[in-house]
Amino acid sequence: MEFTAWFGKLNINEEGEVEDCQAFEKDPEKLAEVLVSLQETSRDEAVNAPDLRQVALDFGFVELDKDYDIMLRDVCIRAAKMQISKSDTDDTRIIQAVEAMDDIDRNVNELSERLMVWYGRYFPELPLKGESLANFVAQYGSRESLPEDHKFFEKAANSMGSDISFADEELLRHLASNICSLYDTRSHIEAYIVTNMGSVAPNLSNIAGAPLGARLISMAGSLEKLAAFPSSTIQVIGASRALFKHLRDRAPSPKHGIIFNNIIIKNAPWWQRGKLARAFAAKISLAARMDCYSGELDPSIKENLDKKLEMIRKANPSAPKKEKKGGKSGKGGRSGRSGKPGGSNKKDGNRRSNNKKKGGKQ
Amino acid sequence: MSVEEIYNGIYNITIDDRSMLATRNLIPGLSVYGERLITEDDVEYRQWDPNRSKLGAMALKNFEIPLEYDSTVLYLGAASGTTVSHVSDILRDGIVYAVEFSPRTMRDLIQLCDQRPNIVPILADANKPQSYAHIVDKVDAIFQDVAQPNQAEMAAVNSKYFLEEAGQLMLSIKSRSIDTVASPKKIFKEEVRKLESGFDVEFEVLQRKELDPFHEDHLGLIAKMFVDDGE
Repeated sequence: MEFTAWFGKLNINEEGEVEDCQAFEKDPEKLAEVLVSLQETSRDEAVNAPDLRQVALDFGFVELDKDYDIMLRDVCIRAAKMQISKSDTDDTRIIQAVEAMDDIDRNVNELSERLMVWYGRYFPELPLKGESLANFVAQYGSRESLPEDHKFFEKAANSMGSDISFADEELLRHLASNICSLYDTRSHIEAYIVTNMGSVAPNLSNIAGAPLGARLISMAGSLEKLAAFPSSTIQVIGASRALFKHLRDRAPSPKHGIIFNNIIIKNAPWWQRGKLARAFAAKISLAARMDCYSGELDPSIKENLDKKLEMIRKANPSAPKKEKKGGKSGKGGRSGRSGKPGGSNKKDGNRRSNNKKKGGKQ
Repeated sequence: MSVEEIYNGIYNITIDDRSMLATRNLIPGLSVYGERLITEDDVEYRQWDPNRSKLGAMALKNFEIPLEYDSTVLYLGAASGTTVSHVSDILRDGIVYAVEFSPRTMRDLIQLCDQRPNIVPILADANKPQSYAHIVDKVDAIFQDVAQPNQAEMAAVNSKYFLEEAGQLMLSIKSRSIDTVASPKKIFKEEVRKLESGFDVEFEVLQRKELDPFHEDHLGLIAKMFVDDGE
């Protein structure tokens, strides 16, 4: 029997004794490469490894016990470092981008809110918020510096707000311009996700749209993991609270998780949503598998999905009659609500961008 | 201040009526994760927080920790190396093979390995002992702290491969990663039963105790292995 240890190839006879050892070159960097490839190619079958340390000593790979430890540690550290740098793949970059986008959303919402409350003391009549407010404040500062032809000039002239000091104005403009640049960064990241999803997961982007596809990858942990999920899991990713409530308390099962963010489901009437979500999730998992294992774009998935969705829509044109005593329909409504992913603020941006893109394609 | 060695390399230090767990610092002057360093009689100790370490909690819960200064240990689920650093303190002349699956936490672990000469990092899945069978020899003890549903099976498979006949298995079972809803007591019972007779290696459980208040819903366990030769 042959057994490859980290330091060489061993020939083991039937009594389990090592007859021969072809040692590898004693170069830590090369040994580390061998180690990594051994780990990747290791088979599932059970092996009865001999006492490696003893073999290494017997065949003169190392002279002292201590040398074995030093060498092994050195090689293992190098190997682990190699594996770590290899582990940075395309989908991990997308995951980082999605999570960075979420972080920005959270922060930018908080800061925008602060800016609105703070600036509102000086110009409460201003009907802007979010990005447009930040742009406004960054550009003009005090309401008194508005030009006469500006559409809010009237409002500014008759404002009930208090006067703003120079220091406050500087501070607010600074805050506002920072918020603007955060919005800017966000759109950069979004564009990055769209372009990269096209190459990393073309089918997934085609079916679910790049932002939702990226989010699914991020929630699953990697494209490979997403591909391994059954479609019923994909259907409820992001609705874990509702799912566990269902498992624990006999609450209705969630119909959709994060995939709710696609217009296919979001714009559907409530009685179709569960059915559409099921079909949609099935095709998403198919697309993820295509992306993970072949990487080629297959337009037929999208065509089949559209056909299937059309069939569901035709078969369920109107709402089922409500049962008495708050039966099914009430239940459906509740689970629909709990099925939506939490965190209202970040959803907004996604949903908007999703709509645009999907709208363009369909 | 008084220092008392409660197990090999594990100390109980009392300062002003407050006692704390500690190990003797292998690399004096270096604190690994911001823990307190205490010097007494020219020996430096590192405080060991049982709330951050299952093994530390086990030591405080009067488990007979089967480690000696020259043991070799296979550590499954090394994470970023908080506990591993203390194991490395205990095994002054031994070796700890630290297996961790996540590249992210392995990054931290490697920093630790760079400082300490007796830790061998292995980035691998503890479910697949074949993938590090060409590195790891028989060890005197296995410590396992992984949050996976098949914790018992993983411990059994690794013990079969790597544990010396007289070696012991230290195991921390997290009931939440097996079933979030079922009662921990029931899960622990089932896991112990599995260890005792569920696999092709069998264990004799020497000690078992829950690790609260340091870790909720965790069972600490020390076991000895019997190998079934199929006779």
